[in-house]
Formats: sequence, C-alpha cells, structure tokens
Amino acid sequence: MFNKILIANRGEIACRVIKTARRLGIRTVAVYSDADRDARHVELADEAVHIGPAPSRESYLVMDRIIEACKATGAEAVHPGYGFLSENETFARRVEEAGIVFIGPKHASIAAMGDKIASKKLAAAAGVSTIPGHDSPIESADDAVAIARRIGYPVMIKASAGGGGKGLRVAWNDKEAHAGFTSCRNEARNSFGDDRVFIEKFVEEPRHIEIQVLGDAHGNCLYLWERECSIQRRHQKVIEEAPSPFLDEKTRRAMGEQAVALARAVQYQSAGTVEFVVGKDRSFYFLEMNTRLQVEHPVTECITGLDLVEQMIRVAAGEKLSFGQDQIRRVGWAIECRINAEDPLRNFLPSTGRLVRFEPPPQTMQAGESVPEAGGIRVDTGVAEGGEISIYYDSMIAKLIAYGKDRNEAIARMREALNGFLIRGISSNTGFQAALLAHPRFVSGRFHTGFIAEEFPKGFTLESVSHPDPEFLLALAVAAHVRLRQRAARISGQLPGYEVRLADEYVVMRKGAVGRHEHTRVRVAHDGECLAVQFGERTRRISLRGAIRDIVARGEIDGRPFCAQVERVGLEYHVLHDGMQVHVRVLTPRAAELQALMPYKAPPDLSKFLLSPMPGLLVEVAAQPGQRVLAGEKLAVIEAMKMENILVAAQDCVVAEVVARKGESLAVDQVIMRFE
Amino acid sequence: MHDILQELERKRAQARLGGGERRIAAQHGKGKLTARERIELLLDAGSFEEWDMFVEHRCHDFGMAEQKIPGDGVVTGYGTINGRLVFVFSQDFTVFGGSLSEAHAEKICKLMDQAMKVGAPIVGLNDSGGARIQEGVASLGGYAEVFQRNVLASGVVPQISLIMGPCAGGAVYSPAITDFIVMVKDSSYMFVTGPEVVKTVTHEEVSAEELGGAVTHTTRSGVADLAFENDVDALLMVRRLFSYLPLNNREPPPLRRSGDPVDREDHSLDTLVPDNPNKPYDIKELVYKIVDDGDFFELQPDYARNIVIGFARMDGHPVGIVANQPLVLAGCLDIKGSIKAARFVRFCDAFGIPVITFVDVPGFMPGTAQEYGGIIKHGAKLLYAYAECTVPKVTVITRKAYGGAYDVMSSKHLRGDVNFAWPNAEIAVMGAKGAVEIIFREDKNDPTKLAAREAEYKARFANPFVAGARGYIDDVIQPHETRKRICRSLTMLRGKKLENPWRKHGNIPL
Repeated sequence: MFNKILIANRGEIACRVIKTARRLGIRTVAVYSDADRDARHVELADEAVHIGPAPSRESYLVMDRIIEACKATGAEAVHPGYGFLSENETFARRVEEAGIVFIGPKHASIAAMGDKIASKKLAAAAGVSTIPGHDSPIESADDAVAIARRIGYPVMIKASAGGGGKGLRVAWNDKEAHAGFTSCRNEARNSFGDDRVFIEKFVEEPRHIEIQVLGDAHGNCLYLWERECSIQRRHQKVIEEAPSPFLDEKTRRAMGEQAVALARAVQYQSAGTVEFVVGKDRSFYFLEMNTRLQVEHPVTECITGLDLVEQMIRVAAGEKLSFGQDQIRRVGWAIECRINAEDPLRNFLPSTGRLVRFEPPPQTMQAGESVPEAGGIRVDTGVAEGGEISIYYDSMIAKLIAYGKDRNEAIARMREALNGFLIRGISSNTGFQAALLAHPRFVSGRFHTGFIAEEFPKGFTLESVSHPDPEFLLALAVAAHVRLRQRAARISGQLPGYEVRLADEYVVMRKGAVGRHEHTRVRVAHDGECLAVQFGERTRRISLRGAIRDIVARGEIDGRPFCAQVERVGLEYHVLHDGMQVHVRVLTPRAAELQALMPYKAPPDLSKFLLSPMPGLLVEVAAQPGQRVLAGEKLAVIEAMKMENILVAAQDCVVAEVVARKGESLAVDQVIMRFE
Repeated sequence: MHDILQELERKRAQARLGGGERRIAAQHGKGKLTARERIELLLDAGSFEEWDMFVEHRCHDFGMAEQKIPGDGVVTGYGTINGRLVFVFSQDFTVFGGSLSEAHAEKICKLMDQAMKVGAPIVGLNDSGGARIQEGVASLGGYAEVFQRNVLASGVVPQISLIMGPCAGGAVYSPAITDFIVMVKDSSYMFVTGPEVVKTVTHEEVSAEELGGAVTHTTRSGVADLAFENDVDALLMVRRLFSYLPLNNREPPPLRRSGDPVDREDHSLDTLVPDNPNKPYDIKELVYKIVDDGDFFELQPDYARNIVIGFARMDGHPVGIVANQPLVLAGCLDIKGSIKAARFVRFCDAFGIPVITFVDVPGFMPGTAQEYGGIIKHGAKLLYAYAECTVPKVTVITRKAYGGAYDVMSSKHLRGDVNFAWPNAEIAVMGAKGAVEIIFREDKNDPTKLAAREAEYKARFANPFVAGARGYIDDVIQPHETRKRICRSLTMLRGKKLENPWRKHGNIPL
C-alpha cells in the first residue's frame, strides 16, 4: 500500500479522496491554485503544493506542475478525481513514466475509450449492444427508407453538422422516412453547408442508465449495479439514484454483463462507468465509457457498502479484489442531488461570490466510512461558510446524498435535507431540487431524460411550483410572527395596564402579482409548546424549535416533523419549503383592512443608463453594444481609491452603446453605457 | 344629562368623520390613509386617548365662521407602542387640507408640552397643505410655536416625523428639527418652495416628486432617513424604530432580551476581510452576524452609502452602529457621510445609547468637490460628535485606519472606551505605497528599491501591534469572537459616568 498520495484535483472530490486515504492511513498531498489558497481541500490534506494561478489551464491542467509536486513531496501515486486530467491519456502515461502510480485505469484503456467512434466499434466487437444505425452518409430518399426498414422504426434522421434540434427528424414509417430525409438534407445544406445525413434507431422516452464497473490487475472485473441519471437539464445530470426504478433483474444483469465484457476488452483496472441509453421497451444501447470516478459514485457506495475510492487505491497498489460478483450487495435506495451555485430563477445563470451562509443539513453518513444500516444523509462538499465561490471553476459546490431502506424513504430524507440546506450570499439550486423531489412524476419513477424540459418548459419560475399544503406555509409564517410578538412583549418600560397582549386573530396576506393579495384570516391559541392556528374549520397545530435568528425552521405540524426556511425581510416573511417560496405578511385584521387600501405600484422603470457611481478609472468594460445581459451580470469595473468596484446590470437588458472608454477617468454620474 | 350625552356622541361622530365621507374617499383614492387610521396602525390597538376633539378654529374672515369641523384638522393624544408611552399628532388632510390654524397649532403645542412634562417621545404624522391662509399671521405664529417646542424637546425626548402628504414652506422646519424623518414614496413631498415658484425664479422644470419626494430626500439630499412604499409600511416600521429608543434622556434605553447567546461565535467572519487589501467586502455582513437575532435597523440606507448607521441590540440593550462601508467609495469619509454619521452619534449620545464603531477607512475623500464643499468643516462635525460623546464607545478596526480618518472614527484619543483591532488591521498615517513614496523620495526612480522599502514599511506598520504597543488598541481580537468581546465590553461599561465641562453649549462647526 502507498504511504503518500497526491490528489490532482480540488473541491468536493479532492476532500472526498482525502477522507478515504486518511482512513487507510495514507498521507495526502493537495494541490492548489491562487484562488484556492484557503480552500477546504488544502486545509484537510497533510501537505499542499501551490501549482499556479487561478485559471485551471495554468494550474490544475498543467501536467508538469502536478508531476513535479508528486516528486517534491514524495507522493507515490496520484488520484485524478473527475474532470481536469482524469481522462487524459497523456497524463496517465506521463505519470506512469515518471514512476508514479496513476490511481485509475492504464493509459491504454483511457485511449481506447477516449474516441467516440472507435469506442463504439470496440463495444460492438465485445458484444455490447450499440445503437443500430448506418454510419456512412445516405445518398437518396429511397436508400433512407431501405435503411430505416432494416434498423426498424422509429428512426432518427440527423444531419452530420446538426445540433440543438436543428437538422433532426424522427420517422415512424416509410413515408415519413422519405420526406424526412429530403427535408433534413435541404435544411442541412442551407443551414450548415454540409448535406451529409445519417440514420439511426430512435430511442423512445430514453433514460440514461449507467453501470459501475470495477476491475483489478489480476484479470478480475465486476459490475456494481446501475445508476439512474435521467434527471438532466441540458445534458447536465441533476439528480442520480441507485438502483434505477426502471430496470428489471434481467435487464440489469444483461447490462452489467455487457459492461464487464467491454471493460475486460480494454483490460480495465480501476473503477469505471459504462453509460447506456435505455428505451421505454427496456432496449438498451451503449453510449460511452467514462474511465474515471463519476461525480455520482456515492449512490453506488451507499447501496453496495463499498468505498469506491478505497477500491481504486487498492487496485492501483496491485491488490486483488477481495470479493466476487455474487458478494456484491444491493441494499436500500440512494439518491444524490447536485447542489450548484446558480440561480434557477434567472435561467440557471452561474452565481459567484461569498458564501455568507452555508449550513448543510446534519450529516449522518460520511464519505469514506461505512454506510449505516439505517441510512442517512451524506454531504460531500469542498466549500465552507465564509468561503468564496470563484468564477474559475465548476459551479457544483456540494453533493447531497440521501440513503434509505427504499425509494420513498430516500426521497423523504432528501426532501428534508434540501429544505434544511441553508445557502446565502450566492444563489443555489436547492429550491429547484426540492421542487423536483416533490414532483409527482419524479416520485412515481416514470420519467426520462426529457423530464425537466417537459415539466419546466419555460424554465424554473416561482409559478411553476405547487405545494400540496399551502396552509402549512401560512401557519409557519404565523408561528414565526407570534414568536416575534412574544419577544416584543418582553420589552422594558411598559405602562401598567398597557402591557403587550398577544393577538388571537391575524390575517396572513400573501403577495400576488400586480397588487392582488390573498388574505387568509386565522385564529391562534397557545396550547403548551404548540400554537393552534385555526383556518376556518380546520385547526393546524404547529411548534417551532430553535432560535429567532435561525433561518432553518424545524418543528412539528400536526404531530409530524417538518423542516423549512423562514426569513424575515422587512415586513415580510419569506417561507421556503419543497421548492415553494411564498412571501407573506402577518397582520392584525385591522391592519390588513387598511393594507388593502394601499395602491399597487408597478416596479419603477429603471434608468436606461449605467452611470458611474463614483469618480474613478474605468478599468474594464465587460459588455459590448448589442449584447444581451442578464440582471446581476458584470457590466464594468471601476477602480477608485485603488479598489475595484464591479458594476452589475440592475435588470435584464440589451446594451445599445458603450459611451465611456476603457482607461477613461470618470466623474460621478458620468454615463458609461446606454441600454436599449 | 341625557341630552348632553347625546350631544357629546353627535360631536364625537362628527369629529371622527373629519372632512366627511367624500373627502375620506378622496384621501383613500390617493393611496393615503386618514389621520385616525394612521394612528390606529401606529399605536397598540385600543391604547389611543384622544384630546381636544372639540377644538375649533376662531377665524371669522373669508366665510370661515360657517365652516367649523371639530378637531380643526389635527388629531392629538397619547397611546402606546408595544406598551410604551408615546404622544402623537396626526394632521387630517380631509379637514381644510390639514392646514395649520392657530387652534391646530395650539393642539400640537399642548401635546408637546405634556410629552415634555412626562418625558415621552413625540411622533408627528404630517399631511398638511400648509398655513391656514385665511388666518394669516396667526397661522405663522403657530408654526413658530411648534418649532420652538421642537427645539426645546431636542435631546430631551425622541421626536419622529412621518411625512405622509404635502409638507411645504415653513412647515418643513418642524420635521427638520426632529430626530428622524420617514417619508412615503409617491404620496409625500417636502420642499421650501414648490415646483411653480422654482420655475418662476430659476426656470427649472421639476416635478414635486423629483423636487422633494421620498426618493429625493433619502438618496440625494439626506433630509429624510427612510422611505417606504405606502402608509402601512411606514407606520409599521416606525413601530419597529420606536423599540430602540428610550422614552427620554434620563431613562435607560429599553431592554429586550431574546436569548441570543452573548458568547455566540461566528467563524465565517474570519474570512470576511479579503486577503487583497484593495478588494471590498460588505461591512453589513459583520453587523448582521454579531447583533442580537441578526436584527439591524438601518437608517439612511441609500444616502452616503460609504458609511452605515443604524440601531441594533446587544444582549438585549439597544446600541447605535456606525461602520465604514468598503463597498462604496472604498469606505472613505466624505461630506455627506460625515454629516450622516455625526448626527447619528449625537442622537445616541443624547439618549444614552452606546455607540459601536467598525472602522475600515482609507482616509478622507480627496478632490475639489470635497474641498470646495467644505469637507474640513463637515468632517470636523463627526470628529466633534465622537469627541463630545460620553456614552459607552466600543470600536473595532477591521482593516484600514489611515490618517486623520483613524483619529475621527472613535479612536482611543477621542475617549473611545474599548478599542479592538482584528489581526489584519493596519493603523498608519497612510497606505504603505504612498508613505514610501514620500519618505524615500530619492528612490522614486528605482522600482526595486521602492518595492523593498514598501515591504519594509508594511512589515513595520501594516499590523495592529504598533498601535497596540502604545495602548491605542486595547486588544487584538479574532473576528469570530467579535460579538462576545463587544458584549463583555458593554456590560463592563454599563456603569460608565463621564461628564463634559459645564458650558452653555459647545460650538459644533455647523
């Protein structure tokens, strides 16, 4: 076994590898760029080596620096994590040549799977099911029909240069194949200047399901079941789970065996993943093989009880796998949500900045440690409260993993964990994730890769979420308000006879569009630890634990525990639960009556100009005329008092003209940009 | 007897109706509440005791003798906000446009006199067309009577003004003297001369909203402290503001404990100040994280944003917070910022509210605009306010404290009681680069030498220890323990007694 390894990565995966290494008694070396000086992976490792400036092509992607760092620290092996250099054949080879062990497959295996077309041929030769198709350009419509018949309908006719839905036709019969070919070729010629057209099998309601494989240097190769990764947004995985709610035992075994056959064909010696597309008829076809540890590996670790990083390290150290295929367990259900620094309400625009608040839900499982039988919550992250999310790297800041005895239990745990995940300072997708987890189609397990596009066709908006129990959200706001009234009642200096009396009736006002507010009248009564909130005939009993300053609110509603978030913003309470966000006020009935008299004011028409807020030097103009910018996007940087001040767009707009020049000295209120 | 009671009820009903249903509807139509509705929202339910409901004007000219409405355009009395006594007057725009008659002014004066006798704050809800022109000089006299009382009450009982409609001409000077001005967007305005006069005299075309609306006064002029969307928001927020204020200058500020532990640590503060000394950060994050329950009542949030002021609680006791804001103008002190902070410090001092100051100031703002505008005199106001201030003063230097601005920001030399510094604090005459360019002028053409000198200067002065060695800093503290250390200091200071030498009054550089 190794004494010391280097982790050629950053963020959560570097932290995760360090945890396992530490348990195995292996010393760890972290590498870091300028932007990661204070990062968590640097803090966790035994040693750390600085490898360059913030951009990854000048640091984490520089092979020489990493090999030098190994030599300088005496690391015997290097774990590449995922991304960066993890699937770089040259890197694997150079590491090997430098006498350092690459904790991953041999470079030849990486090379064999690196090319899409070559890997497909290799897979077909190894007996893996590949998508039926015709891989040379089709000459005529009649040929197209003949080929389509051979493949079997439905088929997809696609232009070689196509993409983004353009140059794509689906044909269900000869007639459509004939017409589809002609129109596809015309479109391809006109749009791309390349009229080559191909045909392949069209997979209906495709799912993305992948098989985890594990091989050693002694000719052993096993499959560790599947992962269902169909919940994707623009081809990026959002939620993964294991096992798949879709596979039957027969399909699972067939996919597993084919994956192993492919791994064997390339002498695969590490953890790897074979990706398949699976149709609604359970036909499955090879997509590609990922010759690295996957982001979503924790769900496999949960159901098998294996530590994949440990297995990778052991295999790399030349050890034999200590178990056979029939000893691999598959117990319970695990789900992973990727927590990204992005704003779902602004079309998932990446969000950067300081993590003013970052409180993950309580962890009951740890990466690199044995999985508790009762299941639990695991948080893999590389950031901490007070940290900075920089512009240089991936937007994924954490992975939330829930494990339960079955799918329903895992979903319930995940929902609670998402509700309790507090992130402020930057925007995150926890609300979007919570909405997905609460979606009936997700709960039923009937979905495919088009799920998000179909269910959120206009993107994620507050209106696209519904909540089965809106009364609960209101009751929670009332409970939070009553707690503040109780605090108010403790103020000193009250006149005898005028002491604060807690009201027994409130109106909860929920803000609607264009000033239409929804009023709900409730009666409240204290009942021990509980607050009885009466909505007409129904009474909801709610209790709220924790301190006033806690945004995460835990307690019980009608005897059942809940976890949500309540924040007081001015006179409003923002209540967040299961992806739903409501903004309410809790008023006395009289105040609500008077509030109803208040006029609705349309949001002000913001200025069409970007003005310099201070005298200073314009050091950067970040938007050009004609460019569409989203609110919050950087427009310009002004240096004043040797400090850089970033000016951002106040709203979505189009830049009409850049009035000031870079390098210009600006006066206060000088126009920098004009918008359309 | 029965007849008298009936007559009483009739008169009361008439008074409650003010200018009548048509005018009430018009008031609502403008998005405004009536004088009585406003009082209902401001005060605890059922606590209002009204006075002088039957007062009528005494004017006989211009047919006024036939037009009398009980109350004469202003509702006065007292009540409670969260159980604490407050005196209120609320002008009724439905009655003669809320115009101020002699009788109307007398009602306000009577109320103010009583508030002074019992030592309770005064809240004025202003919604008035101005002087009752029919009464002429009697009305003007009424204004001056009110101004005189505002001045005498200043520093004795807190005074809050809400501007909820027009407030023009001489009328503006009563709110101007009070401690806080709160305005309502789109339905209130304040100016000495209105748009029409402006147009005649200076040929400027300007709307009332632009000339003296809530946004103008909370972003450009700094006349008002807060602006809200409507009457309800403004009144409910004034209730919140009230919770930080003592009843008068002899009473302690109101204690309200919430159970937020005084020794609560927040380790995210250890990374608040960026490594790069030129990178800004939001000082409000520090404020929100150390005060009780994260509740910070900011004043003038959109004016002179380079300095942050407002109220909060520490261990239940109200405190005033003053903080340089590195996000805006690098936290420099300028004319507007100095005046904003100076007036706030003086309010806290007058009413026994301890002042906590967070310092990250690279200096005073340079430039002709500042010098011609009189930064010397205006900057001196802040210096004067801190130096004169005798309430407990706790100061934390989070990063830069350069030059004269260091002295001004509640330094030890201005009788700061407890002065802390975070470990990366730099207390120096100026930044290292500037200092080296002056001290080693002969090396100015040799960048390597200059860089070495700069590093040397940094090592020598870019830390809190030089100041610490002289006792200008009482201790260097970890950012995460800031709340605990401030709370302890404030507890220690609770018995502080300090008096300035007797004088009629000082001569602050106005």
